[in-house]
Amino acid sequence: MIWHIVKKEIYHNLTTLRFALMILLLPLLMIANALIYGLAGGGWMAENNTHHQLAARSFNELKASAAQSLAELALVGPGRISKRPSPLIFCADGADEVIPKFVMMKSDIHSSRSGGNDAEPYAWRFPWTLEYPLPSESGNSMQRIKLDWVFIGILMSFFTILFTFDAIAGERARGTLSLIMSNQISRGQVLLAKYLGAFITLMVPLAIGILMNLLVILLSGSIPLAGGEWLRILGMVGLLALLVSSFIFLGLFFSSRVSNAITGLVWLLLTWVCLAFAFPSLLGTFVGNLNPIPSVDEVSLRKEAQLAQIEEEFREPHSTRLKKAPSAEDPETTRRWATYFLARIETQTQLADAQIDWQFRQVQLARDLTQFSPIACFQYAMEGLANTGVVSYMNFVKHARRYRQTFTDFIKTEDRTDSASLHIYPVKEGLSQKPVDVAAVPQFQEALSHESVLLPVGLLILFNALFFIIAQISFLKSEVK
Amino acid sequence: MQMLWLIIRREVVSNVLTSRFIIGFLVCLLATGVAVLVQVNDYEKRLTAYHTAVRESQDEARTWDVYSKINPKAHRKPNPLGIFHAGMETFGGNTVSVEPARPIWSGLHISFFAPIQKMGTDNPFLSIFLSVDVTFIFKIVLSALAILFAYNAISGEREDGTLKLVLSNAVPRDTIVLGKYLGGMFSLLPIVGVSLLFALLFAYASPATAFDGKDLAHIGLIFAISLVYVSTWYLLGLLFSVWTKEAATTLILSMFVWVIVTTVHSNVATFAVERLLPSQPTAESFRPIFQEALQIWDAFRKERNAYVKQRGREQAADWENPQDAISWPSKELASEISHGSGTAPWYSKETYGVNNIEHADLSIFLEILGYQEPLRIRYADKVEEVLNRPSRAAAKNAQLAADISRLSFADVYSFAVGTLAGTDRQSYTDFLSATRTYKRQLVDYLADKEAFSSPTWFSSDRGAVVLTDMPVFRHRRLSLSESLSRAAGDILILVAWNIILFMAAYVSFLRYDLG
Repeated sequence: MIWHIVKKEIYHNLTTLRFALMILLLPLLMIANALIYGLAGGGWMAENNTHHQLAARSFNELKASAAQSLAELALVGPGRISKRPSPLIFCADGADEVIPKFVMMKSDIHSSRSGGNDAEPYAWRFPWTLEYPLPSESGNSMQRIKLDWVFIGILMSFFTILFTFDAIAGERARGTLSLIMSNQISRGQVLLAKYLGAFITLMVPLAIGILMNLLVILLSGSIPLAGGEWLRILGMVGLLALLVSSFIFLGLFFSSRVSNAITGLVWLLLTWVCLAFAFPSLLGTFVGNLNPIPSVDEVSLRKEAQLAQIEEEFREPHSTRLKKAPSAEDPETTRRWATYFLARIETQTQLADAQIDWQFRQVQLARDLTQFSPIACFQYAMEGLANTGVVSYMNFVKHARRYRQTFTDFIKTEDRTDSASLHIYPVKEGLSQKPVDVAAVPQFQEALSHESVLLPVGLLILFNALFFIIAQISFLKSEVK
Repeated sequence: MQMLWLIIRREVVSNVLTSRFIIGFLVCLLATGVAVLVQVNDYEKRLTAYHTAVRESQDEARTWDVYSKINPKAHRKPNPLGIFHAGMETFGGNTVSVEPARPIWSGLHISFFAPIQKMGTDNPFLSIFLSVDVTFIFKIVLSALAILFAYNAISGEREDGTLKLVLSNAVPRDTIVLGKYLGGMFSLLPIVGVSLLFALLFAYASPATAFDGKDLAHIGLIFAISLVYVSTWYLLGLLFSVWTKEAATTLILSMFVWVIVTTVHSNVATFAVERLLPSQPTAESFRPIFQEALQIWDAFRKERNAYVKQRGREQAADWENPQDAISWPSKELASEISHGSGTAPWYSKETYGVNNIEHADLSIFLEILGYQEPLRIRYADKVEEVLNRPSRAAAKNAQLAADISRLSFADVYSFAVGTLAGTDRQSYTDFLSATRTYKRQLVDYLADKEAFSSPTWFSSDRGAVVLTDMPVFRHRRLSLSESLSRAAGDILILVAWNIILFMAAYVSFLRYDLG
């Protein structure tokens, strides 16, 4: 009996105008997505090439400083650390253009003094610190929505509404609901049949769209996909199914509550607008007021003031602490210079880390708050699987920090093997002057983490369960006529 | 006439009594209220940051004791109408450092030292969230409501069988179309009006927002445009209602068109253009530009050195040793002249300090300065031209994207409101050109004072320079007529859509088959 109703539902849906419109629109958008992300402006390949070029350039610089000496390497640092572009960006763009793609671990700042005031002439390079670039910005806010799978998923939830708003209310109005009920079938089974009917009709065009999308990408060879990525794409299809399913339950709930199908649609439509656009974005903007943090200028002023204080303490004409230049023969002075450099490094690192931590915490709070919308959950889970978006950048920063420690530790251990060195970090004269084998230098490795997927997926399942229960209860209590 | 009035009244009553009217009204009010609350909060923050920045600049101005130190900052004042349409309010730079010989170019994320900077932001990462303003709510929610009011205007009556009854009266079909249209608009009017009033009330509740008469006139215009926009959607729904036989089909069709026009089209258009022709200059695209800028600065130094040579200062030919251009009365008094210089693609600066200035004969030195500084400014203008090339190309692409998205009248509405509110891209460009105008005023002022060839250019030995009559940066927003004429194109497109849709609905209804 259930299958009977499911079949009837599917046949009915297939012949409607909305199905025709959907099956036209979805593949069109999917192909546009594949073409734009795969080919436009060189597509992903160009992005990946740039990434490799920059990484190679950075590696060559590293090689050059390693060939000079360990001391040089210790001061210049590992260079520019770039984040690998994700091939799955066409699935979840994650405001990619806003999010930085690298961090800097390189020192460019030289300084020198020519003597005078009894100070010895000396030229030096300030040691490297980990610096975070500012996120860039672009155009107006509507451009924040990209034609990725996430957007297509949001559209799918809209189509779901159009398919379910009259599922029960329409039958009730036509009087066919009481006819169905007169059969030997429970209400739960009717609801299930309605659900399955809508689910299958919606997933078929989506599956066609996805297949066409992947076919275009495969045939054009614009984005090479490996085994792991296929698995992740499969996971995304699962996410799309979860989103569609939750909206079917929501649609069935409203449809069984109202006597007039149109009232149900009005409710659904407004709920959809709120869940998809209005409240996630409003909460996102509002979080800055909930949890205020110091502005970028304030932090940079604070940094300047602290650095100026260090300069005052160590290098001002009245201070005698750094009158002499550091040298391998004078460990005392070299150590003093090391204190000076370390004080600077600590100030810079502390403020830069603190600032980006504040910002990340705010973003995290905003994301946590917006997760009450199933659409936001879906988006975050997609970004987590695609390894795009701000969370993947947070993960990248975490690894970069770990690498900062690994690199410094490497320098120190390597330095200990040279008996001629004074072992004073980070002064050039206090470190080993022997060249380093570049193969021994630890390389930055970014481990992907899909941990951020768990919570939104769990919530999405929870939404499904919740909407299922309210739909079930509401249908059980509803009048047949 | 009486018949028309009757139809209108009947339409309004039947619309207002439905649940969709009440739900729509409530959701519209709620969404507008929350959006305004968030935007007002944001505006207050921007305003505080602006006032702080202005105060800091004033403090800084007090430390200028010589002409060469003059470096005023031009601040973009937050626009209170940004509450209604945020647009470019939160984007782009808001502080421009104006120096006579320093090009003003948009390189917000290219260099920390670019003259256009954005001050007062606390978390740039939050821009990954959409920002929702009143225009956005109107664009999405009001349009949906208009459709929900219109979809069964004709096809619904036909299904109920009342259409035949209406037409059996002595009432021409055009009166019915007009009556339906006006009736629908009269029922939508309170929603638009009350929502906007609500927004205005919320905005007024904040002490930071002080709307003047001009702002209110702009808000009035925004209200009018919003009505025109809603009317476009209503007419579209009406047209579909005439075309289709069943109300349900009308609704599905309208909803599809709605989602495509309000969300899909503009995103696809903007996004495709963005990917094909990037509208955001990158560090890579600036590399050759910087090279060219450095060459221009080289040319400047060559020309300057040629002049120095021509003035018979062979030994100072490279101006490395400007000391030679000063003659000292005696050996004992001959003292050092300090000279510092720095060159980056975006500036070339040289500073001088002369000891024992009261005894020295500076005439030739000053003459060379008087030649060199205006020359530097002329070259800076050339560099400015070069440095702004990427952003000009980007602006062109953005314009193209905007033009393509204008195919959707929802975007036309958004653009029109942006122009009226003064938060569109053009207004931002206007701010930047105002800073360039200000720079020219500053140069003229310095030239009037003969500052370049005066010892006060680099020395304050005779007291600090008096700068009370120095020009101040002013940037005013457009007046009502100016912004209206600028938005005229978009408004006309909206009106044209209205006329076309109305004519189409009218003609279709005249040929409507009741069978």
